[in-house]
Amino acid sequence: MRKKKIIVKNIYKSFKDKVVLNKLNLDVYESESLSIIGESGSGKSILTRCIVGLLKYDNGSISFGNLNNINTLNDKEKMNYMSKFGILFQNSALLDSLSIRENLKFASKQDSFNKILNEVGLPNSILEKYPSELSVGMQKRVGLARAILKKPEVLILDEPTTGLDPIIARQINLLIKNLVKKNKITTITVTHDMESVYEFADYVAFLKNGIIEWYGNARKINKSRNNSMINFIKGIN
Amino acid sequence: MTRLLSSALALTKRLFKIIFSFFHSIGEIVDFFLNCVKYSITEKFYVNIFLKQFLKIGFNSLPVVGLTSIFTGMVLALQSYTGFSRFSAESAIPNVVVLSITRELAPVLAGLMVAGRSGAAIAAEIGTMKVTEQIDALKTLSTNPFNYLIIPRILAGIISLPLLVIVGDIIGVMGGYLICVNLLNFNPTVYLQNTYNFVQFIDVFSGLVKASVFGFLITFMGCYHGFNAKGGAQGVGQSTTYSVVSSSILILLMNYIITSFFFRL
Repeated sequence: MRKKKIIVKNIYKSFKDKVVLNKLNLDVYESESLSIIGESGSGKSILTRCIVGLLKYDNGSISFGNLNNINTLNDKEKMNYMSKFGILFQNSALLDSLSIRENLKFASKQDSFNKILNEVGLPNSILEKYPSELSVGMQKRVGLARAILKKPEVLILDEPTTGLDPIIARQINLLIKNLVKKNKITTITVTHDMESVYEFADYVAFLKNGIIEWYGNARKINKSRNNSMINFIKGIN
Repeated sequence: MTRLLSSALALTKRLFKIIFSFFHSIGEIVDFFLNCVKYSITEKFYVNIFLKQFLKIGFNSLPVVGLTSIFTGMVLALQSYTGFSRFSAESAIPNVVVLSITRELAPVLAGLMVAGRSGAAIAAEIGTMKVTEQIDALKTLSTNPFNYLIIPRILAGIISLPLLVIVGDIIGVMGGYLICVNLLNFNPTVYLQNTYNFVQFIDVFSGLVKASVFGFLITFMGCYHGFNAKGGAQGVGQSTTYSVVSSSILILLMNYIITSFFFRL
């Protein structure tokens, strides 16, 4: 029996005259991995930012467990709410004035990070380095470590393989797959990379013109009759 | 006639847009300030970040403030001599130097120097953090960016600027001393005695009040513009420019307001 974790209902979000999310509906289920795909500018990242509470939506509601409309939370409640999420940002968003150890300490007060570094395939020697001293792939791994270290209820991955070469992208996809499946974390992935979808998505939502045009099982994605999505998958505009 | 009317309408529309955006900016600045006050009272204070920023804004600005002060003191002594020697009032030079330095030049020049140096650095650092989503990351890691980034910097500015100005006062007076004693043949003891006898507590105090206000303006505008940076590298560059320009203008404006306040005392 699938249990709803996040309910997005009639979400509307616009920037000046541009409507980005147009009465969008979406359910995210517990312990499942949902991939949100769509063209650039379709509002994928805006949707996840609304879900996390980093951005206020104009209309509609987002419910998370007992919380009915996260737009109405006060500062303290919002801070508590955000702590339920672990986020891997598009460019990792590691604090570049701090060492890797200090970055990880933001997520967990523990002193030893051996286990988590081992899980994401990084040596302990990087702990005293600064983000600028690491490759983009290593920064993504640290970002992922920071995101899962706080044992989040929901993991958000914003374009986890963007800017990586195909080999490193594949490694990151496999790493995410292992972590997500092993820990059974509810995951929302925003991606352009169909490899990521095939690798670890249970369900897929295709976003176009501010609404979910197609939603279904990731294994049935190639059998879909939605032309826009087929064109997107094939890379045809 | 219709054309004239439509262009007048367009002009009015544009004017209203400018007025609206001006008041919108004022509202945003006030909101940012109120958030700073609210979070400084209700949430955690990061002492180590404050100390780091205190060193960055205060201690690291010492060379530039020192150099500015010594040359200003030296120039002031030379220019005063040019004027005062015309009516045989050279003995007033130490008084003019100390009064100008403590009341006016040390706080204003230190303010402008720190605005260019630290204000720009603050705007660039926070702006980069904003556009690379580091501030969003802080929020999701249960850290309030106001408490972690903004409040320690503003407090460091308010405290470090007066200390810098005290150093600037001493070095500025010494600049005047060097010129008067070595170039204009003043008696060193008389010069220092004149300076000491003439200067009053209010002269130094008014300069320190100015410095505190300038420290607040520099760090506040740096944080505000950095925190509201948009886009990529261009947005960060723009926020840095806005920060330096707005804090410099505000320093000059507040300098007049504070001066006229102390003038009435």
